[in-house]
Amino acid sequence: MASTVIGAGITIEGEIATDEDVVVAGTVRGKLSAKEAVTIEHGATVEADVTGGSLVVAGSLTGNVTAVERVDLQSGARVIGNVKAARVTIADGAQFKGNVDMDV
Amino acid sequence: MAANATVIGRTTRVRGRLSGDVDLKIEGFVEGEIAVTGNVTVDAHGMVGANVQGRRLTVRGAIRGDLVGAEAVVLEEGARVVGDVRAPRIAIAQGALMRGLVQTADDGAARAPAVRAQQVAKPAAATSRAAAAPPARAHAPANAAAPAKPPGAALPAPPSPHRGNSSGARRPPPPIVPALKKMKGQLLKKREH
Repeated sequence: MASTVIGAGITIEGEIATDEDVVVAGTVRGKLSAKEAVTIEHGATVEADVTGGSLVVAGSLTGNVTAVERVDLQSGARVIGNVKAARVTIADGAQFKGNVDMDV
Repeated sequence: MAANATVIGRTTRVRGRLSGDVDLKIEGFVEGEIAVTGNVTVDAHGMVGANVQGRRLTVRGAIRGDLVGAEAVVLEEGARVVGDVRAPRIAIAQGALMRGLVQTADDGAARAPAVRAQQVAKPAAATSRAAAAPPARAHAPANAAAPAKPPGAALPAPPSPHRGNSSGARRPPPPIVPALKKMKGQLLKKREH
């Protein structure tokens, strides 16, 4: 259970910074930075640059993404922006437009 | 809490506007504005520098800002609130601290700004500035602040220094009280860092 949850139905416009896991099911505009896992659930809308330890996307994300460990774009995800992480997976059915940088 | 509840965790800092139709639990730090239609709970660890609007507000942490509850505002033990509280039903439990206007109905809203100005003028910094204001500017807000003057401040504020200097280097007028109200967020930031 993540300790920070942005529930469905809420809109946050601004900056979110945290040391813990974050689950986003609502709308975030601005900037989201976490030290641990970030999960963008199906139905969520994120228009923000996102940094985190790892990132799982099943919803809609517009913005640049940087993760220390990995980024997983799941089926149904819609991502527009550049992705930078040591490991990146894009599942069948994920929509993605942007650059991938895996530090090779 | 509803299934779509939002939790701002202990190490989470949010700067900006939170809005929507959800229940909100704040254990971390929020600065900006909160306007939701669900219930808002500020945990004992929660720190909020924002005006908060919600249906039922339950406070156990610190808030600097005005609280407006559509249904109720409950300040529980450990709550620290600086700001006005407005709701049909308001409860302040033993052990809760607050400074500001409390209003348990929507009537009398026209009277509220004057009272609020008095509340804002209370902090020491604001009082000394208000006391130093030249008489032309020292209208209602400064008068309201007068009883709270620190003992060290000159009584009454001598108009001569400002008048004497004004011919040479004209100093900018001291900020008036409503400007301080807008600065609230920054004052809070300074104290907490």
